[in-house]
Amino acid sequence: MCDRETVDFLATVPLLEGQEEPDLVELARVMRRRTVPEGEVLWRQGDEAREMLFIVDGAVSACLYVPGDRTVEIGRAGPGETLGEIGVLDGGGHTMSVRVTEPATVLALARPDFAALLAGQHPSAFRLKRRLASLFTTRLRNQFRHLAVSLGGEMAGLPADDAAPALADLEQCRAPDSKYVRRMTTFHDFDPLALWGFLTSGSYVRCPPGRTLLAEGAPSTAYYLTINGAVEKVLVRGKWRIRVGLAGPGKAFGYESLIDGRPSPVTAITRERALLLVLPRDLFDQLFNGEDAVSRGFLDVIQKDLVATLRETLRPCARLAASV
Amino acid sequence: MCRILAYLGEPLPVEHLLFDTDNSLVRQSYSPRMMNTFLNLAGFGMKAWDPTSLRPEDPFSYRATTLPSFDRNLRFISSKLASTCLVAHVRGVTYSREAVVADTNLHPFHFVGARVVLAHNGHLRQFAPMRYSLVEHVQPELAQRIEGTTDSEWIYALVLSQLDDPYGLPDTRELADATANALRILRNVRAAHGIDTSSPVNLCLSTGRAVVATRVSFDYGWYPPDDEMLETDLPFVSLWYAIGGEYTERDGDWQMTAGDPPRSVILASEPLTTDLSTWLEVPEYSMLTAELTPEGLDFETRDLDV
Repeated sequence: MCDRETVDFLATVPLLEGQEEPDLVELARVMRRRTVPEGEVLWRQGDEAREMLFIVDGAVSACLYVPGDRTVEIGRAGPGETLGEIGVLDGGGHTMSVRVTEPATVLALARPDFAALLAGQHPSAFRLKRRLASLFTTRLRNQFRHLAVSLGGEMAGLPADDAAPALADLEQCRAPDSKYVRRMTTFHDFDPLALWGFLTSGSYVRCPPGRTLLAEGAPSTAYYLTINGAVEKVLVRGKWRIRVGLAGPGKAFGYESLIDGRPSPVTAITRERALLLVLPRDLFDQLFNGEDAVSRGFLDVIQKDLVATLRETLRPCARLAASV
Repeated sequence: MCRILAYLGEPLPVEHLLFDTDNSLVRQSYSPRMMNTFLNLAGFGMKAWDPTSLRPEDPFSYRATTLPSFDRNLRFISSKLASTCLVAHVRGVTYSREAVVADTNLHPFHFVGARVVLAHNGHLRQFAPMRYSLVEHVQPELAQRIEGTTDSEWIYALVLSQLDDPYGLPDTRELADATANALRILRNVRAAHGIDTSSPVNLCLSTGRAVVATRVSFDYGWYPPDDEMLETDLPFVSLWYAIGGEYTERDGDWQMTAGDPPRSVILASEPLTTDLSTWLEVPEYSMLTAELTPEGLDFETRDLDV
């Protein structure tokens, strides 16, 4: 089942930007069109994610149930926007409840069909992975902004002593044992040869605890992946700071800026002494925009990290506001 | 590695916490959702305070090395016991010849006459060389009471040793400070032995009137080569809580109702339900304290830099 109208609509969807006509025709064939009345709940938070949705017309509201019998609206979506990608990607259930606020027409894409789109070696699969990374980065920035608002105050500049160091000023060291890296969940799906290519593409640095590697509001110059130790991602407002993430082994940071060219949304400070893989911007661009096995694995690593980070920021967490 | 559970608040049948929910503590023994490669089959223990019982300051005790899911005694007892405070634990050990599954190694630890109990989710790597250096920090009378082979029992004796009176009833602040002091001693002893590998120390202590819990790891993210616990330890060891009015079943779903001020809190390595919407994740590197007061539950979370 494929109609011209559906294909024309898909060509306007930001997530599918750059996809060619034959790919959109294929996609339209496997999608199911539904009309839904106002007030209908499309899914509830925690429900098994069997499909993602493309909104053709109408509007929906995404809400999070939080402790204390409260519901918080996280956002609204309208024509051209997509919903439910996180659950279909990681299989962890929908992150939010979605209710129709204006009668809507949606196109549903089943989880296996979405997985098939991403699994191919075709350039369209690489393009889609990059678009997803871009979309998730935007959502992540929105989430960080919500969290920052809860702190109040202005974004604080770092004291001069805490300014992020130049890469050349970090202590260089040898690559870790690849047997250890392979045991991290992050790399389970990485082709062994491609993993070797990835691990040897960057450099490795050691940092003591308490070292600021990246400042919120400043551009990031590199992608960092924690091999050992832990790095806190924090927001600082006025005299308060909250941790919005902890990048332990296999988790990355610093890449949001490299994906969308905007300043870093968070400050990154080593909590434990850390061993980090560092990919400077040119190497990141090369891997992010490449279309070989190493790039494929790398894009998957970024996608996993973004999905996990989005889940973390959406999950109710007692965030400690510590004084700076 | 293990799973812990603590409850403080309105009287609540213990079976609701141990058996009734879709991710209850007993279920976590054989099907934990947040541990990929590990089961907790080395025994069960609990301390439960019932204010209507004989000598209400003494907790009801139960522990057994049998699997709790098939323990009919546990099921019968937990259906008859409504507790205002509970600390329970399912124990996991490495699948090695060194592991000892025994009654004396079951948590929560509780020396006879003491008012504080302790359960531990985590493990101190390279504990063997540390053990003898800890002797100087543990009161001799308490050291003599250690019966088992676990690092956790030593941590218990170390915390008690930091109290003014190890057999007295400490207030919440004193218990929290004693716990933090014990963790600092552990860090110093580790440093003296050159131990710098990841060692999670999620502790849960209680007097029956208050609960103190930590979510901490020493040297998180650093592992010995070929470590058998690596996959379990790569994520920061989890701890969650639900706080509110009362824990109850509504339309088939277990949840904590709203309560202002709160009257009940559950702390657990994993949420007791697959629906996480009424649960909050405890931040890494932090300490929680909860205390029953006439006005309700006094609850605090703070950063723990030890």
